Amino acid sequence: MEQILANGLYLGAQYALIALGLTLIFSLMNVLNFAHGQMYVFGGFVTYTLVAQLGLPFIVGLIASAVVLAVMGALIEKFLFRPVIRRSKRDESTMLLAAGIAFFLDAVILLLFGEKQRGVPKIVGGVFNWDMRLIMPYDRILIGFLAISLIVGFILFMQYSRTGRAMRALAQDRVAAQLMGVDVDRYSMIGFALGAMLAGLVGGLLVTITGINLGMGGPTSVKAFMMIMIGGAGVISGAIAGGFILGMMESIGLTLLAAYGDVTYLVIFASLMVFLAIRPQGLMGKPWG
Amino acid sequence: MTPSRLLGVGAFLLGVFVLVPLLIVLTGRWDFYYTLTSVALLSVGAAGVWLTFYIGRINIGQGAYALVGGYVSAILVTQAGFSFWATLPMAGLFSAAVSVAIGLPILRLRGVYFAMVTLVLTEVARLTALALPVTNGAKGITSIPLPGELSIFGLTVIPDFASLGNPKLAFYLMAAVLMVLTYLVLWRIVNSRLGHLCRSLQQNEELSASIGVNTAMLRVLAYAISSFFGGLAGAMFVAISQSIYPSSFVVTDSVNFMLYCFLGGLGYVFGPMLGTLLLYFGWDLLSVAREYQLLIYSGAMIALMLVLPNGVLSLLEKKGGGK
Amino acid sequence: MKRRTFLQTTALACAASIALLSPALAENAKLKIGFVGVTSGPAAAWGISNQRSMEARAAWLNELGGVKIGETTYDVEIVPFDDQKDPKRAIAGMEKMAQDSIHYVVGPNVDDGAAAVRPVAEQNGIMYFPYAFPKELYTPPASNAILGMVANYQSGPAIYKYLMENKGVKKVAFVAGNESDPLSQRDSGSAAAKALGLEVVSDSVTYQMDTTDFTPVLLPVIQSAPDLLVLSGVSPANAPQLIRSARELGFTGLISTETAQDAAVLAEGAGELANGFISVGGASTPELASDTMKEFVDRYTKMFGEYNDESNTKVYALEYIVETLKANPAAIDNVDEFKKTMDTFEAPNPFMVGDAKLTYVGTTSFGQKRQVSVPLVVNEYKDGKFETLFVAQVD
Repeated sequence: MEQILANGLYLGAQYALIALGLTLIFSLMNVLNFAHGQMYVFGGFVTYTLVAQLGLPFIVGLIASAVVLAVMGALIEKFLFRPVIRRSKRDESTMLLAAGIAFFLDAVILLLFGEKQRGVPKIVGGVFNWDMRLIMPYDRILIGFLAISLIVGFILFMQYSRTGRAMRALAQDRVAAQLMGVDVDRYSMIGFALGAMLAGLVGGLLVTITGINLGMGGPTSVKAFMMIMIGGAGVISGAIAGGFILGMMESIGLTLLAAYGDVTYLVIFASLMVFLAIRPQGLMGKPWG
Repeated sequence: MTPSRLLGVGAFLLGVFVLVPLLIVLTGRWDFYYTLTSVALLSVGAAGVWLTFYIGRINIGQGAYALVGGYVSAILVTQAGFSFWATLPMAGLFSAAVSVAIGLPILRLRGVYFAMVTLVLTEVARLTALALPVTNGAKGITSIPLPGELSIFGLTVIPDFASLGNPKLAFYLMAAVLMVLTYLVLWRIVNSRLGHLCRSLQQNEELSASIGVNTAMLRVLAYAISSFFGGLAGAMFVAISQSIYPSSFVVTDSVNFMLYCFLGGLGYVFGPMLGTLLLYFGWDLLSVAREYQLLIYSGAMIALMLVLPNGVLSLLEKKGGGK
Repeated sequence: MKRRTFLQTTALACAASIALLSPALAENAKLKIGFVGVTSGPAAAWGISNQRSMEARAAWLNELGGVKIGETTYDVEIVPFDDQKDPKRAIAGMEKMAQDSIHYVVGPNVDDGAAAVRPVAEQNGIMYFPYAFPKELYTPPASNAILGMVANYQSGPAIYKYLMENKGVKKVAFVAGNESDPLSQRDSGSAAAKALGLEVVSDSVTYQMDTTDFTPVLLPVIQSAPDLLVLSGVSPANAPQLIRSARELGFTGLISTETAQDAAVLAEGAGELANGFISVGGASTPELASDTMKEFVDRYTKMFGEYNDESNTKVYALEYIVETLKANPAAIDNVDEFKKTMDTFEAPNPFMVGDAKLTYVGTTSFGQKRQVSVPLVVNEYKDGKFETLFVAQVD
C-alpha cells in the first residue's frame, strides 16, 4: 500500500508540473497548446545533449533547457500566436496553428537529435528500501522533491510577484486587466515563455529517469490535457490537483486491476469521461471554460 | 438555385467523375486513385466534424466513430455473412446510435472540455476494440472479402468488386459518390431551418434556448448525423484494406479530421473537403522530400495559418464572395 | 554533413572506376527496391533503422559497380515511403510502389499495416517483406508476403527452453504494451511457455505505449515472483525503462524479450541494471559477424553518424531480394518466377562467419516457404555490448 501511494505521489508530481505550463498558457490566451508535449521533449533533448554528450553538470543542462524553451516560447507567441489570434474569427483556429507547431517541432527534433531513445546516466545511485514495504530509488526521490519545490516556487511566484499578479489578472478578465493598465501583449508573451519553460524543465528533470524520445511529445500533450480537465482548465490549483489525481488513479488502478490487464486503462479513461459528464467544469474550473 | 451555382455544381461533378479519371488515364498515375479515394472518404468524416463545429463544438472524436463503423461492417460481413452494401448504412446507423448514447451526457460540455472528452473517447474506442471478444481483440479482423454484387430486382447496380479488372477505379467512383451525397446533405442541412437553428446554437446557446429552441435535441441530432458520416467513412476504408485493427483509427486520425476542417475554413460547407485534399494529398506529394517531408509539411501548415487564419476558403471572401 | 561527403566520395569513386574500367559503358540500369514503413512519430526508430540499413547496403553495392542480374548490371535504388504507422497511409505507399513498377518492397513494420497492404500487393504483383508476425499473412492463400525476421512464436519457445534447461527457470511472467503487436506476441509467448510446462504467474498486465513511469505497471508483476520476466514485443524506447523499474523494485530474476534491441540505448537508459538482459539480434556479436558485417556497420556509421543494433536483423531483406533475383533473372519483373525460385534458392550468408546459408524457410509455421532464414541469435547484454548466448535455426 505504501508503495502504491509513493508511486502515485511521484507520478503525480511530474504530471502536475507538466500540466502547470499548459494550464498557464490556456488561462492567459485561451490557446490549447498542442505543442506542449513537443516542448517537453525538446527540453529533455537539450539537457541530454549538454549532460550526456558534452559532459557538463546536470544543473547546467537543466538551466539551459529552461532558457532555450523560454526563448522558444516567447518567439512562438510573438510571431505566430499573436498575429493569428488577432485576425481569426474563432478562437479555436489556433488549434491548427498549435498542431502545425507540434508537427514542426517533431520534425526538428528528429533531424537534430535522431530517432533513438536517449537517457542521461543516473545522477544519484542507490535505492531507498524500507523493509521491502516501500522501495524508491534515490534519484526518483530527488526528482520528485525538485518537482514539488518547482511547483511551490511557481505558486509563490504567481501569488506574490508583480508579473504573477498581472498574469492572474489577465487570466481572470482580459479586458478589465487591459483597462487597469496591464500590458496584455507583454504579459501574454511572458506567460507563454513561462509555460514553455516549465515544459522544458520537466523534460530536463525526467530525462534522468525515464529518458526521452521523439515520440513522447504527442501522448504527453494528451495526458496533460486530461489532467487540466480533471482539475478544471485554466486554474493553477486545478492543474496540480489533476496531475496528482491522474497519478494516483494510474498507480492504484494498475494494481487493483492487474488481474484484468487489458481493461485497466479503459476503466481509467471511461471513468474520466463519466466524471466530466457529471461535473463538466472539472474540480475547480470555471464552468464552460 | 441560381444558374451560376448550378453551373458550379455541374463543373464540380464533371471534374470529380470525368476529368479526374481522364487525367489519371492520360498521365498514367494510377496510384492517385487510392489517394483520391482516401481524400473523398476522409472528407466524408471531416464533414461530420464540420457539422459539430457548426453547433459550436470542437469534435476530436471522429476517429472513434470511424472505428465503430469499420468494426460493424467487418463483423457483419465476416461473421454474419451480410453483403457489404447492407452493412454500409448499418455501420452509419450504429455509429449514430452510439453517438446518441454518448452525446446525451457529454454534449452538455462546451469549449475545450467537450474537445478533450471526445479526444479521450477515441482512445476509449481503441481500448474497447482491444478488449472485446467480438472484435477479435489485438489480432484484428483480416481477409475480409471485397464488396460483392449489389442488385435490385435482379438488375445489377454495382458489380462484384472481385470480378473487376480495376477495383481501384470502382472504389474511387464509390467514394466520390459518397462524398458528393454527403456534401449535398450537409449543404441542404445548412440551408434549412435546421441550419439556422444550428447557427443560433453556435452564437449563443442560452439565447436560443430562451426563444424556445430545443437545444439538447438539436445538439444530439447534429452529433448523430456527424457520427453517421464517420461510421460510413470507416466502413468504406475497411472494404478497401480488407482488414481492421484497433489501431486502424486512432487519436491522430481524430485530430486530423479536425485539422481538415480548420484548414478549409469553418465558415464554409466545402471547407473540410478542400482541407482534406490539401493536407492529405499534400503529404503524399511531399514524400519526394524524404527526411524533410514533415518539416516542409508542417512549415507550410504554419505559413498558411499565418496568411489565412480563417481557412483557405476565406480567400473567396476578400473578393466579396462569402457563403 | 557526413552523409553528404560520403555521397560525394561515393559518387567520385563510382565515376573514377567507371572512367578507368570501361570508358564506353553507359550508366547502369536502376533496380528500384521499395520501403514502406514508419520513419516519423513515436515508432520512427523501427523504420529509420530499416531504411538506413537498406540505403547503406545499396550505396555499398553500387560503389562496387552495381549488381549483375542476368546480363544486365543494375544500380540499386531505394524508394522510401513514410506510412506514419497508419495502415491507410501504408496502402498509399504500396500504391506508389506499384506506380513506380516496383515489385519488391521491404516493410511495413507493424501488423495492421502489413494486413492492409495485402490486397494492393497481390493485385499489382508485389512481393513484400513485413516485420509483422500474424500467420495469416504468410499461410496460403496469401503468398506475396515474406516474413523478414524470426517471429516471436519461433524464438520465444527456443529462449524459454534454453532458460529452463540452463538457468532453472520455472515461473514466468509477461508484460506487454496495449497495442496489437505486443499483445499478440504476449498471447503466443504465454501459450508457448505453458506448452513447455512453465508456470505462467502473470500475463495480464499491460501498459499504455506512452507510459513514462513503469514502476506502478511492474509492481503487481514483480509481486507475483517470477523467475523470468518477458517483455513481449517491447519497443527499444520502453525496454530500458522497464528493466530499470523492475530492477529498482528488487527483481533479481531474468528479463528477456523476443524483439531486437540497441545496446547504446540500453546503456544510456538503464546502465548496468541492464546487464543480463536477453534479446534477439542478428549476426552482430563479435564471434559471429563476418568481415562483411563489420564493414557494413562501419559504412552505416559513416553514412548516418551512429549505428543502430536493430539493423542487424534488418540488413537481410535487401540481400535476399538481390540474391534471389541473381539466381533467377526472370524474376526481376515477375514475382511468380520469384516464388518458384524461393523453394530451391540457396546462397552463402555474407554477414556471418562459417558456412551459413541464405534460404527461405517457414514450412513448419506457415505451410510454405515464406520467411527469410536468418540465424536466431539470442544475445545477452553486458556492459554496453551484446554477447551471444546461443544460436538456433528456424525451419
